[in-house]
Amino acid sequence: MYDMLYNLINVVFGFNWPTWLISLIGHAAVAAILFAVAPFQMLFLTYYERRAIARMQDRVGPNRVGPEGIFQPIADGVKMFTKEDIVPKAADRWVHLIAPCVVVAPTMFMFAVVPWGPGMVPVDLNVGLLFFFAISSISAVGLMMAGWASNNKFALLGAMRSVAQMVSYEIPAILSLLAIVMITGTLSIVSIIDAQAGLFINSVDLPGVPDWGLGWFIFTPVGFLAFFCFFIAALAEGERTPFDIPEADSEIVAGYMTEYSGMKFGLFYLAQYVLNFLLCGMTAIIFFGGWQGPGVNWLYSQAISPANPEGMWLFNVLAGVLGVFYFLAKTYFFFFVMIWIRGAYPRLRVDQLMDFGWKFLIPLTLVNMLSAAIWVGLTRWGAAEGLAFIEGWSAGVRWGVAFALTLIINLATYIMMARIYAASQAARSRLELEELRDLAAMSR
Amino acid sequence: MLKTEELQINIGPQHPSTHGVFRMLVTVDGETIIDLKPVFGYLHRNHEQIAEQNTYLQNMPYTDRLDYFNSMANNQAYAMAVEKLVGIEVPERAEYIRVLMVELTRILNHAGALGFLINDMGMWQTQLAFGMREREKILDLFESASGARLMCNYFRFGGVARDLPPDFMPRLKDLLRAMPAFVDEMERLLRDNEILMQRAEGIGILPPDLALAYSVTGPVLRGSGIAYDVRKAEPYSIYDRFDFDVPIGTVGDVYDRFLVRVEEMRQSKRIIEQVLEQLPDAQGGHINPKARQNVRPPVGDVYARIESPKGELGFYLVSDGSTKPYRYKIRAPSFINLTPLGDMCRGYKVADVVVILGSIDIVMGEVDR
Repeated sequence: MYDMLYNLINVVFGFNWPTWLISLIGHAAVAAILFAVAPFQMLFLTYYERRAIARMQDRVGPNRVGPEGIFQPIADGVKMFTKEDIVPKAADRWVHLIAPCVVVAPTMFMFAVVPWGPGMVPVDLNVGLLFFFAISSISAVGLMMAGWASNNKFALLGAMRSVAQMVSYEIPAILSLLAIVMITGTLSIVSIIDAQAGLFINSVDLPGVPDWGLGWFIFTPVGFLAFFCFFIAALAEGERTPFDIPEADSEIVAGYMTEYSGMKFGLFYLAQYVLNFLLCGMTAIIFFGGWQGPGVNWLYSQAISPANPEGMWLFNVLAGVLGVFYFLAKTYFFFFVMIWIRGAYPRLRVDQLMDFGWKFLIPLTLVNMLSAAIWVGLTRWGAAEGLAFIEGWSAGVRWGVAFALTLIINLATYIMMARIYAASQAARSRLELEELRDLAAMSR
Repeated sequence: MLKTEELQINIGPQHPSTHGVFRMLVTVDGETIIDLKPVFGYLHRNHEQIAEQNTYLQNMPYTDRLDYFNSMANNQAYAMAVEKLVGIEVPERAEYIRVLMVELTRILNHAGALGFLINDMGMWQTQLAFGMREREKILDLFESASGARLMCNYFRFGGVARDLPPDFMPRLKDLLRAMPAFVDEMERLLRDNEILMQRAEGIGILPPDLALAYSVTGPVLRGSGIAYDVRKAEPYSIYDRFDFDVPIGTVGDVYDRFLVRVEEMRQSKRIIEQVLEQLPDAQGGHINPKARQNVRPPVGDVYARIESPKGELGFYLVSDGSTKPYRYKIRAPSFINLTPLGDMCRGYKVADVVVILGSIDIVMGEVDR
């Protein structure tokens, strides 16, 4: 961002402003854009979700406010602001007030490391991925605060469920990302996107083939399995069906949000949609190349950048627009998948959720990390690391062997795990059935 | 296991999935149910006492309000009780129309109940919307025949209020043609959906002996593997003329109750098809022209029962020879099916309670009269 502004102001327009001023303008602009973007994303996503799920349920959805109901979210926002703010008499007033802030603030922070297009990242942290997930888990504290402060049993149950769920599903989420981190060797989100240029995986870029921006990790066996594990874990972290257990409306009313009304409730709502948007965005970034896509890299190579100061500023705009378009298209697609699942599946029970996370996803992601290690070894290592026998192989052969080997390992593990898990579930329900019969007999 | 503090939760009377104002006093240890006490009476509106102040015919619209999903079935049980008390003959054609209406009611009720059950599992209204769509088609038919969609008030002593309108039969045939696809879809949804299976299989088991001890009836009893159906056990009206099966479950869990209801929809369709074949040859009109509506039955008492979509619905009437019933008592299937809820829920998780409750299929208007 800084480089872009510097080039625009001092090189293109020739103002020769001091660097500190440009830096300040840059930071202010980024902060302003981010705080505007997050609520607008949320407004659009609520409308998008309601319309999409209405189509699945043989309804029309919101269609009164504005053309095709596009202003419905704004009407909802006005409603939220004008509603009475009710605090239960027995509630802990201050904790009750602070909890929504503690939930919303981290989700806003997370925007800081999300790259929207080529060169369009607010802060390129070298530990961006770590920052993203470390910050996202802070909101669990806010949820527990909300549930505890409300002094309501449903809220407490919901909060306990949500914390248990967040803690257990962060492990598979991060383990599946670790496999990608091992392959790319970086925690910087920008570098992970850069590694997904080219055709398949960047280590076998063929000479003479243009850069299509399709080197996505989803095309590798490691990335494929990691994507599924990560997306399932993201559903659980974002509290989406089938893992919307913390706010299961048919069981515990609204979970930790039960005692909230007005804008405090609105903040929880905002945080949830923003978190879901970011998780979908992160899925798009890590496994589907983020803004990478046909044409973006070529446009960017013609644009003004630190590497190419004589470029055309028009290409900056074009590359940015195309990159943002690719990124948002992928993100909205994943959000659509979330809506789709919501319309088609019931929710799991809390113990089934834990079983699935601990007994199925975590072993799978661990094996996936082994595959990632094999991939790295076969594509990068040589005599220096003690693998002299692959020294002579060409890049294509190395890539082919790595692909085949990881595919076999991942496929075999998946089939084995699925069988073991299904068998253990069956055994479990048999056991429970007998126990319950005994219990029922005793009570009579 | 670690012993933790027990927590008492009131699920209801105001709760999204208690199907009305029903309260469950639940004692939980973490997420596991230790004890559950159903508490009802929040919708008590003195139905039986009011009925004793009315003439026999005036009570007919009141029965609509009992189980507002199945007003036709309530009408039939009450009409049968009064006819038995007074001794009114019902013409053949009227009987066919009655059976037709009650079987349509059964399809309507099960489509709605299964939709609500899946909604309780958390499938946010999708299946409910589809179930309601089928229900609307049947309600349109009811509207054309009786003039009302929900509170039909269609039955009279000795027959039904009006004959079927001319366009009723073609519309019914259209409906029947489209129905198997819907029922198959409903069944596929459960059999092919891994999460739904996990939520339904082995949950809320009601053993046959316990079911009998609580005198549970209807799909809940048949789900527990006991083939008891009033239509077969004590054929009333003209049910002995039809060929249909009584589906039963195996263990008596939520899954069995779901499948029993799906199969009952198919059997109801079979009965309706037989009605369509036999109705043109039926004797008599839609009502017995000699039957008086302001009846004054002789002194005595009578119990008439039918297989309503929710179970055995019975009316017990005592007459003192006046125009008003001396005693008017209803055996409501929802109320009696609800009593084993505590035994069905004990040991399961909080999330299972709403699913088990949904699988019993209650209507609070009938539980609290």
